[in-house]
Formats: sequence, C-alpha cells, structure tokens
Amino acid sequence: MALTFRGGIHVEENKNTSRMRIEPMSDPDVVSIPMAQHIGAPAQPLVKKGDRVLIGQKIGEVPEGALGCPVHSSVSGIVTDISKKITPSGAKVEYITIENDHKNERTEDNKPIGKKLSEATPEEIIELVREAGISGMGGAAFPTYAKMKSAIGKADTLIVNCAECEPFITVNHRLLLEKPTDVINGVKVMIRALGVKQAFIAVEDNKQDAVKLMEKYAEKTSMISVKVVKTKYPQGDERQLIYALTRKEVPVGKLPADVGCVIFNPETCAAVYNAYSTGHPLRARIVTVDGDCIRRPKNLLVPLGTSISDLISYCGGLVKTPKKIVIGGPMMGVAQWDASMPVTKSTSAVLVFSEKFDRKKVEHPECIHCGRCVNNCPMHIMPMYIAQFSMKNDLASAEEYGAMCCVECGSCSYNCPAGVDIVQHIRVVKAAIKNEKSRLAAQEKK
Amino acid sequence: MDNKINSSPVEKEKITMPEMLTVSPSPHVKSPETTTTLMVDVLIALSPAIIWGVVVFGWRAAMHVLLSVAAAVGAEALYEKLMKKPITVRDCSAAVTGVLIAMNVPVSVPLWMPVVGSVFAIVVVKQLFGGIGKNFVNPALSARVFMLSWAGDMTRFTAAGDRINSLLPALGEADVVSSATPLAALKTGALPSESFLDMFLGRQGGCIGEVSAVLLLVGAVYLLIRKVITWHIPVAYIGTVAVLTFIFSRNGMFSWEFMLYELLAGGLMLGAFFMATDYSTSPVSPKGRIIYGIGCGAITVLIRFFGTYPEGVSFSILIMNLLVWYIDKFAKPRRFGGKTSGK
Repeated sequence: MALTFRGGIHVEENKNTSRMRIEPMSDPDVVSIPMAQHIGAPAQPLVKKGDRVLIGQKIGEVPEGALGCPVHSSVSGIVTDISKKITPSGAKVEYITIENDHKNERTEDNKPIGKKLSEATPEEIIELVREAGISGMGGAAFPTYAKMKSAIGKADTLIVNCAECEPFITVNHRLLLEKPTDVINGVKVMIRALGVKQAFIAVEDNKQDAVKLMEKYAEKTSMISVKVVKTKYPQGDERQLIYALTRKEVPVGKLPADVGCVIFNPETCAAVYNAYSTGHPLRARIVTVDGDCIRRPKNLLVPLGTSISDLISYCGGLVKTPKKIVIGGPMMGVAQWDASMPVTKSTSAVLVFSEKFDRKKVEHPECIHCGRCVNNCPMHIMPMYIAQFSMKNDLASAEEYGAMCCVECGSCSYNCPAGVDIVQHIRVVKAAIKNEKSRLAAQEKK
Repeated sequence: MDNKINSSPVEKEKITMPEMLTVSPSPHVKSPETTTTLMVDVLIALSPAIIWGVVVFGWRAAMHVLLSVAAAVGAEALYEKLMKKPITVRDCSAAVTGVLIAMNVPVSVPLWMPVVGSVFAIVVVKQLFGGIGKNFVNPALSARVFMLSWAGDMTRFTAAGDRINSLLPALGEADVVSSATPLAALKTGALPSESFLDMFLGRQGGCIGEVSAVLLLVGAVYLLIRKVITWHIPVAYIGTVAVLTFIFSRNGMFSWEFMLYELLAGGLMLGAFFMATDYSTSPVSPKGRIIYGIGCGAITVLIRFFGTYPEGVSFSILIMNLLVWYIDKFAKPRRFGGKTSGK
C-alpha cells in the first residue's frame, strides 16, 4: 500500500507529456527578467540600460540581510529596458529586458566550490546556493538558502518532493528519468549542508519508471531511500507529504522544521548540484507546455525570462482559441491576463485551455450541505461553513472554524457539486482576518 | 496583448490570442459531478423499490408517484416564477422530494393527498426557508407528518399483492381491505405472521416504497458505490436500532427474532438510507453523521416502544434534523495538526 494522508481528491491526471523528453528550447531573441521570482524582497538591478551582460552574470541583488535571491542573466546581450511590470503572481516589480546577441558567452565570475563534498562546510554550501539565486522550483519560490539555514539543527529528515500531484505537469517526472544523478548528487550536497540523518525521495505511484530508476541510484547510499506515495491530490502539499512519510502532523501555525523535516523540490536539488559542481547560477528551468489549445505539448528547458508566447510558438502554436492561460497546475496555478508573462524560477507549467476545458461558472451556486468539501479537505476543516462565514463577513466565526489552516489546495471547489467556489471565499476571509489583525496591532501600538 | 504567436504553416486559418483572456481564481478544473447528477443518482437508486411498489400495490402506486412528482416540480417552478427567483427544478431535487412523498403513503390514500403533501413540502418547508440547502427539516418527511393529520387514510394499509389498479380519484373505503402491518403486530408484543423472507423481499403491508428491504438495499449499495452517500448515517442508525431492539426485545431481552423483525418492518431501510442522508438536513462530518445516526436510531426505538404510534422513523429523523447545526458545530473533525476536536 502506498503511503498517503486522509482526505484529498482524485483529479483526472492528464499527464500527456510524461513521455516527452526534455527539449532545450532554442535561444529566445528577448528575455524579460523580473527582479522578484522568489518570496521576499525584490532584487535591485545592478545593470543599466545599454549595458552588455553575459550568461550567468548577476544583474540583480537583494539588499544586505533581506530575505531574497540574486537574479542572473539567462542570455548574453544588451540591456534594452528596465521598467516596472506585473509578475505572473500579481506583484509589480522591476524587469530587466535583455536582447539576446546569440553569442552565448558565459561570465567568468561563477566558480565551483573546488573542494570535496566532505571538506565543504555547510556555510560555504549555503552561501553558494544563495549566490546561485536558487529558490524553490515547485511553485512557492521560497529562497532555498534561507530554508536550508532555518533547517540546520532542527531537521533530521530531508524530503525530496517528487509527488507532482497537479494534473498535466510532468517536469519532475522527466527530471528523475533523464537526470537522476543530478538529483541524487544534489540530495547529497543538501545532506552534507544540513547534517540530516536521512533523505526520502517521495514519488507518486503513477511514476513507477521513475521509482525504479531512483531506487537503483539510491541503493548505493544508505541515507537516501525512495518512498512511494499514493497518487492523490494534494499529495505534494508539504504537510500531507510529511504525514504520509513520517505519520507526523505539522502543528497548526508551525513549519515542517518543527517536526524535524525539510522539503525540497527535485529540480531545486538538481540546481544546487549544478551550482556546487560548476558554480553556475540558476538560469533555466524545465516547463511543461500543455493544454487543449497547444499543438504539440512538450517539456522544455527554458532560459528564465522567456515569454510564454515564445513557448507557445515553439510548441507549434495554437489549435483552438484560448480562453485561459495558466502558469502552474490547473488546481493551484494562476490564470494570466497576458501572454507576454515571463518564465520564472517557479514556473513549472504553462497550460493553455480553451472554453471547453475551463471550469464552467455556475450562475447561482447554492451549497447543498453535502459534506464533500469536509470529507475531502486535507486539513480537516469545514470549508463550506467557512465560505458561508466569509460571505457574511463573519471573521470571528471563520477563524473559529479554522480558516487560517486552509492551504488553498482547491479540493473543496473542485468537488463541489453545487459549483460554489469555496476556496476563493476562504481566501477572501483569510485576507480579511489578516488585515483585521494588523489593523488591531497597529491600533494597539498607538 | 501579444498577438505575435505563429501557428504552424500547415494550418490554413491562423489562430491568434484573443483580445481578452479569462482571469479567474484557481482551481481551473472541476469534477463533472453536479447537484443534478447526484439527484438523478438518488432517483435511480429509488427506482427498484418504486417498481416493486407498483408490482405489489397496483397501478395506483405509479399514479401516486407521477402526481406527486408533478406537484413537487410544478410547485417549485411556480413559486420561483412568482417570486422572480431563478428556476431550479432542473437540479431534480424537487423530483426526489415528490418521489419520496409518494413512497411514504399507503396506496389507498386519495390521489390528492400526496399532491397536497408535495406542495406543502416544496413551498412551506423548502422554499420559504430559501430553497435547496437552506431547509432545516426534511421536506418529504415533514409532508408525511403533515399528511398524518388525515390519520385514518394514512394508517390504512393494504396487504402486499392486494393491488389497486383503479386510477379514479375517489376511492371508497369499502374498496380497501385493510390489513395489519408487521409493525402493528410488533406493537402488541407479538411476532408478525409474515416470515423473515417475506419481509426481506417485500411481501408485507406498508407504504408504497418501504416494503422491500432487499430492493432498498440494492439502491443503497448503488448510492454508496457512486459515493452519493457515506456509510456513516445508515450504519449508525440501523446499528443503533439493532442493538437496542436486541437488548430490550419486546418479549424480554436478547431476541434475535424480534430484532430482525424490527429492522425489516416499517420505514427503517427507506429512512436510514434515503431520508436520514438528505444532505441539507444531516451533518457533514463523519463524526457528526455517526452521532446523528445514533440519535435517529435511539428515538426510533423509543417511539416504537413507548409511543402510541407504531412507527418512529419519520419523527426521529425530523427531531434529529433540528439538531444538525449543533452537531456540526460540536462534532468538527479534528484539524490536521490540531490537538483536540475543532482546535
């Protein structure tokens, strides 16, 4: 029996690209690189309009001491524009636009650590990871160096989250199949830096080929083991994954490190290994391009900052008129209003859906009290009650019913027969509760 | 908007990005299940028992079902039209209410009675409280209790096989040979004359849709497989009735025979699987559903044993309906990562 958690849903997998090899995308003519591709403070541009930059050159750096990652150029060329634009997640930050000269010249600045792993200190490795600009590549984009720092001394178990429970996305699956050694070596670097006792590579049971391959590689070391988890959404949510593997529940309001776990995405691990072995910063990532409007769905290795319209063109263009472009998976991804959005460090997929595929809007949704959301909720709260309190703006009751525990996985909305967008009502009330709390805190200060 | 996307040369018509893309919150996909599909599943699950009702009670049973459904659906549409609300009859929930009302009357009642019951259920119990999902008591059961004000008609049961094929609205009392139901026999403390097998298969007197335990179970299994209902309420309900009637059997204590008759007689199967599980009027959490099922079972037994009326299923479910909000509030699931209930 595969390991799992209580609750969750089964969504049609649509892993159409699971057999598509990762294809390096031809160099884009222009890249537009946002200064915030991570959670935390945006980076400040280090270059000016007209400067020539090289591949791997640092073009943005966060203020000293602030949480955040430096940003590097993904191509060599001339900076043509620096201006504020909206990011795929909705923030407004500085973008550096670079016209590619297709010379593919790399900067000499990036040097590998040049030591055996057993001789490298955790501080050196963490500094290297920071300098390489690596942030979580699964979607949340938390700066990896900061997560590593906070886990040292607290975590004894490292979990590599290859669950990939979102429909359509196959980037981790392909990575495990095509670059297993990068992932394993990245895990070894992580183990060295964090001083953990064991590492689990967690893979959903719909990726048996990856499981077998990783088991073969993991055999050589006693610390790394492969764990098969049930194919279920949201199996890749870190709290649910920790529970499936260790039977420990991360307490409400606490972090995985509080139960001795630290979780990384396999692509993040591969990026860490790449930084360790070559010194090269993160400049490209794997993206699944799929959806019923795409002519030839693919897995692409894309330089950061490439616009999603370039990706769509590279995949043969459109076969249907799109209604929606989603960055990320269909369950938690963000719908975009513009096809010129760039690929960032956390873009795992670009999905283009037509009218036919998109969720139908129900005009007058009425909760029928069926309890599906309650039984599917991986956090075991009562989503439909919280949604009702949200509609009445009853913040106290919403909080009492556990609104702040919600991980916004969307299982409730997916399975609601009445078509109530439950998770959106919960998002609204969560934001209102947060605002109210900060307002009260500000009042108290006065 | 970026319109530069090229489609491949083989495509004659070039598809470009539309002027506007839809931006809406995630999730962007949805399961195909809707309120309508759930209600249709309930109708499918009820159909074997209805067909059996027509077989043993005659064509008049079918007439009751049709009229009752028409009245329920018509009342809902008319009310919503008059109140300028969106017409929701397509969700089939009114049809389910109509079917359940017809299943809950003896075949000999006048044809107008389930019609009146359906209108009452839909207008007074459901729509006046805001429509689907807002009513706090079960519409079909409320209608049944409402119709019990015509106590004579509602408690005159014909024996299975005594078919009434007359479709005429008026039906003289002389035409009906009333027979004692197994429940009435149990009430006197005696074992019914029917065999277990007769009762299990549905060869007993009673309301149109409640007599065949096996066909109701077939429908229940369908609902469980389709995940329309969960096991918690029926198992807790029937389990409680079984335990209580076994321990406190009517002829002393610990009688398997009495217990089995109690389970197969009256409306327990219909009530436990199809009425107590009504979404709007039952709790949402597994824990809450078990508490609710136990409550229904205990009240059913109390009424059967100590009430003047032989059957307690309808009343017990209606009484527990009133407690659903409190059960939901106090039987919250234990939160993931939380210490105690609801925290």
